[in-house]
Amino acid sequence: MKYKLPKEDINLKPFMSKPPRYNWKDVIMRTDKTYKCEIINIIELTPMEKLFHLKILDPVERDIFSFRPGQFLMLEVPGFGEVPISISSSSNNKEYIALCIRKAGRVTDILHKAKKGAKVGIRGPFGTSFPMEEMIGHNILLIAGGLGLAPLRAPLYWISEHRDEYEDVSLLYGTKDPPSMLFTYEYAEWEKVNHIDLLTIVDQGDDGWTGRTGLITELFKEMTIDPDNTFAIVCGPPIMFKFVCNYLDSIRLPMNRMFVSLERRMHCGMGKCCRCMVGSTFTCVDGPVFDYWSVMNLKEAI
Amino acid sequence: MREGCVVEVGFSEPVARYLCPVTVAAVADRGRQGWVHRSTIDDINMNNRILLKRNINELLARSAEAREVYLPLEGPGGDVQFLPLQEPKELDNLNLNYDQLIIPPKNIGFPQLESLFEFKDGEINPTVPVPSRHILFGLRACDLKGILFVDDFFRKNFEDIYYRHRTEGRLTVVVGCTSPSPNCFCTSTSTGPFIEDGFDLQLVDLGERYLVEVGSENGERFIGEFEELFLDASKDEIHHSGEVKVTAAKAVTLKVDFKEAIRRLTEDDVPREIYEEIAERCIYCGGCLYVCPTCTCFNLFDDMKEGEGARFRNWDGCVFEGYTREASGYNPRRDKCSRAARRYEHKLKYDYQETGISGCVGCGRCLTSCPVNIGISNFIEQLTGLDSKQ
Repeated sequence: MKYKLPKEDINLKPFMSKPPRYNWKDVIMRTDKTYKCEIINIIELTPMEKLFHLKILDPVERDIFSFRPGQFLMLEVPGFGEVPISISSSSNNKEYIALCIRKAGRVTDILHKAKKGAKVGIRGPFGTSFPMEEMIGHNILLIAGGLGLAPLRAPLYWISEHRDEYEDVSLLYGTKDPPSMLFTYEYAEWEKVNHIDLLTIVDQGDDGWTGRTGLITELFKEMTIDPDNTFAIVCGPPIMFKFVCNYLDSIRLPMNRMFVSLERRMHCGMGKCCRCMVGSTFTCVDGPVFDYWSVMNLKEAI
Repeated sequence: MREGCVVEVGFSEPVARYLCPVTVAAVADRGRQGWVHRSTIDDINMNNRILLKRNINELLARSAEAREVYLPLEGPGGDVQFLPLQEPKELDNLNLNYDQLIIPPKNIGFPQLESLFEFKDGEINPTVPVPSRHILFGLRACDLKGILFVDDFFRKNFEDIYYRHRTEGRLTVVVGCTSPSPNCFCTSTSTGPFIEDGFDLQLVDLGERYLVEVGSENGERFIGEFEELFLDASKDEIHHSGEVKVTAAKAVTLKVDFKEAIRRLTEDDVPREIYEEIAERCIYCGGCLYVCPTCTCFNLFDDMKEGEGARFRNWDGCVFEGYTREASGYNPRRDKCSRAARRYEHKLKYDYQETGISGCVGCGRCLTSCPVNIGISNFIEQLTGLDSKQ
C-alpha cells in the first residue's frame, strides 16, 4: 500500500497558529451554511404578500435544520441578493418552512415572479427566540400589526401544539384595511380548534367590513389583562410598539414579560455589516427578540 | 504586559513616563490602577537588535522572495501608498518617513471590493482567499492599532473567514512615527507615535540605524531568518531610543482631552446641539468612513449576467441615508442629526463600552479628508470646551 505524504508548507505553519475560539454562538446559530431549497407551494395571501413553502432538498440537511419560534433566516436568490425573513411555520414541521414575503424590493420582487419548483437558498436560523418554555402556565397575549403576524405564526403553532400547557391565549391583530389582512383562512381554525381568542381591527373599513375599526389599542378596552399572570409578544411597525407597550406598561405588566421582535435592515446576519446595530447591540445576533426592558435601555430602538 | 510600578530605569522622568503610559482602556476595563510598564531594561536589552539603514533594502528584497511585502511606496505625485512590492527596483521609492498614508492599511485584510462567492448554473463556489505569508513593513503605530481593532471585530461573534484568511500569515513591522501630520492626535488617544504591544517588530529611528524591538515570537523568528543583517543593541542605543520616543511624542502638537470626551459620551453628557451643528455642515460624502482605520461597515450586492455572477462586498458607511432604510420604508436613522451622532457614538461610546478600547486611534484622517472641516478631534475639542452637566 502506498502512502502519500500530506502536501503542506511546513514554513507556513508557525504563521498559521489557530486563533482563539471566539464564535461560541455558532452552537445555536448557523451562519455559514446555505441549504438549497425548492419552492413547493405558493399561496397568494394579498396582492402584496405571498406565503412560500420551501423544502430543503437534501433529506439529511432537512433533518438538521431546526429553529425556534421568533428566529429568522436569510433567504438567498443568487444573482439578486439575500434578505432576512422571519419564519412563519411550526418549528416541529420538518417537511417544509413557510415564509411570508411582501413585495418590497429587488429580491422579493423576483421571488414574487417565481413559480413552483424554483430553487433558492436559505442560511440560518439566526437570532434569539421567544421563551416559550418560560411562558408555560401563563396567559399569553399576542399582538400583531400588519405583516407582524408572520413572525407570530411560529409561536402560534407552538402554542397550538402544546395548548394544554398554556392558559388563556389571545391574539390581537390590526391592519390598515380589510384586504391587507393576512392568513384570513386560518382564523376559524385558531378560534375553534386551538381556542385562541382572536380580536381583529382595521384602521379604515370598506363597504363589506362589519368588524371593528380604529387603532389596535382600541382592542384593549374589550378585554381584561391579568398583569401578574400574562406574557405579551408584540410585533408590528415601530409606531405600534410605542403605543402598545406604553399601554401594557401602564397596566403594570412587567417589562421583562413583554417581548418585541424588532425590525432592522440586515445584510450579513453575523454581526459584521453593522446595519442592524442599535447602540452597541446587533439586532441580528442579540435580537430580533428582545424583552421590553432591554429595548427601553437601547437608545433609539423604537 | 506586566503590572506594577515604574522600574528604576535610569531615565529622566519624562522618558520613564513615556515608556510606561497607562492606557485608558486598561485602567477602565480591567480595573487596573496606576502605572503599567512594558518591560524592564534587562528585557529590552535581550530583545532589542540593531538594523543598519543601508541593510533595509537587502532585507526587504530577500524577504520578498518567500513572502509578499507591503511597503509605503511614494508615487510620482508624492502620495505615499501601502502597496505590495512587485520588483526590487521599486525599493527606490520606499519612504519610511512619510507623515500619513491616505488610505489606512485596513484594506489588506478588508479590501474595498471583494468577491465572496461565484455562482454559475445554480452552483455556488466560495472564493475564500488562500492564506499567505506577508509582511506589513513600515506601518505606523496608529495604523497597527487600527488593524488590531479590526482583527478583534472580525473575530468576535461569528468569525469572518475571508478576513481571517487574508490576515492569517501576517507579520507586522512598525516604524515609529517621527514626522506626524498636523491633524494627528495619537498622544491623546495613547495609540502612538510608538506602540506598546501587539506588534511583531518595531523600528525606532536612531539616525543611521534602527533599533529593532521584538514584540512577538513571529518577530523573533523573522529576525532569526536574516540573522546576519541584524546587530546587537548596546545600552546607549536603547537609551537613545527612549529619547527619540519622547521627542516624537512631543512632535505631536494637537492635543485633545480624549478621556473627558469618552467620559461625557459614555455618560450621555453630550448636548444635541453639537450633533445638529455637525449635521448642518456635513455633506454626507462618506470620506471620513473610507479613510478611517477602524470603520468596517460593508454592503453586500450581487452582480449577475446571464445566470453567471458573483456576490461582492464593498465598503459602506453609517452616515448614508439608505444604509439603515428598511424594506417597509421605515428608517430608524432618517434625520441627518442621528446619523451624524451615530458615528461619534459608535467610535467613542459603544466601542469603548463593549471592548474597553475606543474606535478612534487618533490618526486624524477624518479631518484631513473632510471637505467641510469636521473631524473627531474637532468634535472632541468642541465637546470638552463646553460646560459639563456635572
